[in-house]
Amino acid sequence: MDKTRTLGIVALGAAAATALAGCAGGADDADGTELTVWLTTQEPNQREAVDALVAAYEEKADVTITVEERSVDQHKDAMRQIAGTDSGPDVYWYWEGSGLGGELVDVGMSLDLTDYYAQYGWEDRFTPASLAGITQYGGFHGVPWTLQGEGIYYNKELFAQAGVEDVPATYDELVDAADALVDAGITPIEFGGTVNWDVMRLLDSLVETECGAQTADELNTGDGDWGAEPCVTDAFTELAAWGDAYLNDGFMGISNDDAAQLFFSGQAAMSLEGTWYNAQVVDNGLDPEDVGIFPFPTGTDRLYGFGEAYYVNAATDHPDEAAAFLDFLTSEEGQEIAGSNWGALSVNKDVPVDESNPLNAVWADVFAASDAGMYTNNDQNFSTAETTEYWRIQNSVLTGDLDPADAGAEFQAYRDANG
Amino acid sequence: MATVTLVTQGRTRRRTPPNHRLSRALPYLVPTLVLYGWFLVYPMLDAVRLSFFEWSGFRTDDPRWVGIDNYVRLFTQDAVFWTALRNSVVWVVLSLVIPTGIALLLALGLNRRMVGRNLMRAVFYIPAVFASITVAAMWRWIYNPTLGFVNQALAGVGLGDWAQSWLGDPRFALASIFVASIWQGVGFSMVLFLAGLQTVPAELMDAAKVDGASTWQRFRAVTVPALRPTTVVVVILTIINALKVFDLVVGMTGGGPAQSTQVLALWSYTQSFANHQFGMGGAVATVLLIVTLALVIPYMAWSMREEER
Repeated sequence: MDKTRTLGIVALGAAAATALAGCAGGADDADGTELTVWLTTQEPNQREAVDALVAAYEEKADVTITVEERSVDQHKDAMRQIAGTDSGPDVYWYWEGSGLGGELVDVGMSLDLTDYYAQYGWEDRFTPASLAGITQYGGFHGVPWTLQGEGIYYNKELFAQAGVEDVPATYDELVDAADALVDAGITPIEFGGTVNWDVMRLLDSLVETECGAQTADELNTGDGDWGAEPCVTDAFTELAAWGDAYLNDGFMGISNDDAAQLFFSGQAAMSLEGTWYNAQVVDNGLDPEDVGIFPFPTGTDRLYGFGEAYYVNAATDHPDEAAAFLDFLTSEEGQEIAGSNWGALSVNKDVPVDESNPLNAVWADVFAASDAGMYTNNDQNFSTAETTEYWRIQNSVLTGDLDPADAGAEFQAYRDANG
Repeated sequence: MATVTLVTQGRTRRRTPPNHRLSRALPYLVPTLVLYGWFLVYPMLDAVRLSFFEWSGFRTDDPRWVGIDNYVRLFTQDAVFWTALRNSVVWVVLSLVIPTGIALLLALGLNRRMVGRNLMRAVFYIPAVFASITVAAMWRWIYNPTLGFVNQALAGVGLGDWAQSWLGDPRFALASIFVASIWQGVGFSMVLFLAGLQTVPAELMDAAKVDGASTWQRFRAVTVPALRPTTVVVVILTIINALKVFDLVVGMTGGGPAQSTQVLALWSYTQSFANHQFGMGGAVATVLLIVTLALVIPYMAWSMREEER
């Protein structure tokens, strides 16, 4: 055997030995459990908090956590693609609404956590409002992560300039305030129409206002007939009126981010936003003391909002470890690390309000005053296809291409044909 | 095996029969054909197959055979489909007339000797290099109703009353997007026409001049026929690009307001990936495929016949 050939055989043997050693090392490393968690793409401050939460938990438990982030649409697509396979995550973040998280519950992707709720005493940990989204499908699907309230942020100085002294407590008072702002040459409220869901918040709130809680629930989440309820026409009529008189010029042609600049720069007096807006108000240079918040005065005492949760994949091989991780995330220790990066209030009822932003305390009062529960954004209530049609009809009314009197019937016709 | 032997200028060359040539080429073609078939032909056929099913996109949810129901719904119940089809057809027609015409004029102009000719060519071509989504973001700002260049410029010259919500008003939105597409697309067609103009025989042009032909007569009788192969390419690419316009619409309006700027390619995507109605999405894609073939194949056949004359 010549020298070169000998060296080659030795090198091959060494490579094979290295590969085998690598395999053995992998097996040793696999003693600890690996959990994969799928999220939507996080803001930098949220990403830092995620890293801190993972690091704190990995120190406590013999578990390696791998976090994967995707954009909103990619996250939804990825969940569809892994349904029924074993290639999905152990834990996934999702919205609780029936058209989103509920869809995954329906196809069996969410593990019913009833036993873990008993084991960890989670029923006593979370606020009743945040648990409502978890128990709505029967059993316990998911662990609450945020409960987002939505209401009207207003510029106190612009209200004062327009002579609006009292915070509107009824819908008529809200319209009066908007009229006063128009008279003072101030844009009453800003919306960005290109994203559809921004203006949808106004329509959802008008449906709640005009129809009342029970009928609104039947329409949004039940078998209510959009074509048969006169209140639906009233809601779309009011929507058209707001579009004509009170919204920023050209709102249909700009995004929510562009529209928000009108509020941040003092060119619009109100903005219909959620608890996540507290941080944005500060980040965009507004003194939170100059900003007030009040719920959209629907007259039903229900707060507009939605919940987000962490779910355990029904296909996971590690349900116990996944539940233990979620227990840490929502514990007092975990919630202190999370801070108010995802919402103004913690879903854990024992965690005090983060006072670093004074608007968080305002939300605490708003939540406390909303005894009648919540009504949810319709893009979470409806299937995604229904949502697309809802937005088309909403925008057609706003552009004047559809008579408000025909809007409800048109939406109902779509639901009947595609139900 | 029968072969034909040619003798050319003292050298002997064998002409291989066509079937033998194919068998020799096949090993080189197979990898490409497999990739092409798997990644292009199969998905296309599968989209057509899917159009006869109802499917949410969940792997756990088995597609359900519904026959032609998706097509019936598309043609009779889908409030957006006809808008999307009309917009796509309008986009094709406008694309064949306006940017193609501008590109030809630019090419004719920039084919002449002039100072700064290459710089001008580059300036007109540069927008074609940008990603469509970047162009969309740029033009969205240009059209911004309060801060955008268009309305600011109109106000600056005393035409503030003409200011519009260019992307927020269904009357203007599609045309506004189309203007952006002209800005982006005209340079590419211009370069193709410029390349075609280099093939116009100089001796023919000189002969026409000697015969006293006017500029228009030289253009019609010499330039246009010489540009026919280039024109075929430009027209086919324009039709295909117009039918699959997607990025600009997504980036500028998302199909809104109220679906007024929706086009077939985007509606197919929306039905599948936003509405999670993959059967309906497949049906729209199939219609788009049929429309594309219905426009391109007859034109190609006509142009090939013209070529053979």
